[in-house]
Amino acid sequence: MSGSPTDFLKGVVGKRVIVRLTSGVDYRGILSCLDGYMNIALEQTEEHVNGIVTNRYGDAFIRGNNGGYRSRR
Amino acid sequence: MDPSSTGIQEPFDLIRLSLSERVFVKLRGDRELTGILHAYDGHMNLILSDAEETIMIVDPVDGNFEGQGTVKVAKRKMEMLFVRGDGVILVSPPSRT
Repeated sequence: MSGSPTDFLKGVVGKRVIVRLTSGVDYRGILSCLDGYMNIALEQTEEHVNGIVTNRYGDAFIRGNNGGYRSRR
Repeated sequence: MDPSSTGIQEPFDLIRLSLSERVFVKLRGDRELTGILHAYDGHMNLILSDAEETIMIVDPVDGNFEGQGTVKVAKRKMEMLFVRGDGVILVSPPSRT
């Protein structure tokens, strides 16, 4: 089906995703776009620490080096 | 791509649209900033004016992690600030509603 990681990421734009940083903090929101550095823009973002919502952002830019891993929800 | 709201095609568009606006910046080392964004580059080096830094100092002596028992908060203000990009975790513009 979807071959490369790039194809997967293209397919997941516009969907709800969870981005986990190396620090263990999760950001949940709608993936609006990403670039070659894996910088990520999210909409309707919730910041989760240990399963607790600690912040909400309308939009959020996450710098790529913080280690993103995303998944469909 | 996703033409949903305001035609953001790459993450940096989000930052570009926030120029001259007050932004929230989350940094490594439990630091947060708000300030007016004047300039940025591809490393996410930032120039902020009227900036306020909030530093969360967690005291690990207390073994009470339940509600993050003892967190001290220090704040300081700076007129003009250069932020090196490698410390940036997240940038959030003011809500576009």
